[in-house]
Amino acid sequence: MTIRHHPDDSMLIAFAAGTLDLGQHAAIATHLAACPRCRRLASAMEHVGGAVLENLPPAPMAGNALERVMARLPEIDRAAEREPSPEMAAAEIPGLPKFIRKYPIGEWQWVAPRVHLRRITLPEPSRTRVFLLRSGPGTKMLQHSHTGIEMTCVLSGAFKHEGGHFGPGDFDLGDATVDHQPMVDDGEDCVCLVAMQGDLRLNGILGRVMQPFVRL
Amino acid sequence: MRTEDDTSSDRTGWDRLIVAIATRQDREAFKRLFEYFGPRVKTYMRRSGATEASAEELAQDAMLTVWRKAALFDPASAGASAWIFTIARNLRIDAVRRERRDGSALAAPAEAEFQIDESPQPDSSLAATQSDKLVRAAIAELSADQMRVIELSFFEEKAHAEIAKILDIPLGTVKSRLRLAMNRLRNLLGEPS
Ligand SMILES: [Zn+2]
Repeated sequence: MTIRHHPDDSMLIAFAAGTLDLGQHAAIATHLAACPRCRRLASAMEHVGGAVLENLPPAPMAGNALERVMARLPEIDRAAEREPSPEMAAAEIPGLPKFIRKYPIGEWQWVAPRVHLRRITLPEPSRTRVFLLRSGPGTKMLQHSHTGIEMTCVLSGAFKHEGGHFGPGDFDLGDATVDHQPMVDDGEDCVCLVAMQGDLRLNGILGRVMQPFVRL
Repeated sequence: MRTEDDTSSDRTGWDRLIVAIATRQDREAFKRLFEYFGPRVKTYMRRSGATEASAEELAQDAMLTVWRKAALFDPASAGASAWIFTIARNLRIDAVRRERRDGSALAAPAEAEFQIDESPQPDSSLAATQSDKLVRAAIAELSADQMRVIELSFFEEKAHAEIAKILDIPLGTVKSRLRLAMNRLRNLLGEPS
């Protein structure tokens, strides 16, 4: 698997810093699961985080802070007792990181001819909606523009648009300035994880007809 | 002013302290880690938007987690400060979420969201995927200006525009410094940029 399209550096820093909202975090994580290069860089950013922490000026702590913590040392870690939550089999949608496979996920829903989606319900409120989008071979995906940022990570199959050709693991970023009409490769379905902020604006006659029905 | 040598001996020293906790529940080792990192984790929490009281509590919780998870620490790959950073970061995310939920229980701790690589290794957190020594050496090669731009990116969604304002440099400079810094890191870590 040759990955050609990566999230930009500031997103990898934000990922490691833990400042992305959960929906965008999920999209970057999906890319990282496929991309050792970005994983290494995100890991390096955690080390940078360590260096940042090391060099911060100390803030005085409560006088009894150490005693209080020492008194708690024997406490049992409750997280270890947490019941494992059910998760989607890795084979069902290959490429999804484990933590996403634990989220409630809907059935495939029809969106447009040969285009289906499955909603993923995030356990925390997020400004980003996350769903899987499946488009049939040769489909022109809906021509659309965005009012916010849209992150797409290809799980299987491939598509292309003016920005290049996107296969498994590739990451694509759309924003208000981008108006793409992706075209799915022949041969197999293209399944993507999409993390979308703002509203989707469908363009063209099909979009105008469909807009009232598509509430992504 | 500490010299580079002091810092590096601190660093291996910290690693050893965590190992001492893991292998023999060494309270003296814990005390020394607490004294250095507790107040710095508190500053990290404050700068990330926590109130004084909650920063104090989170710093104490982070150090408690260091004790409990010490056995998962792998000095060959993570490095004490990177490892403690990830603990503090995960606790901060959990705390923000708990606040949004008015205190009700979390669906899952944020920790799992950073465990991406499922290939078998003792601790599959991101920090464990490469040698601490290599990354530390690469980071040390960055210029102070480049490091500063990256540093500021670590606190709550600092947009590039805001970083430009803080450092009093043009937005384009922020972006180019960040790009240079990351390309440099990538090269040093053996990646074509
Ligand atoms: Zn990548």
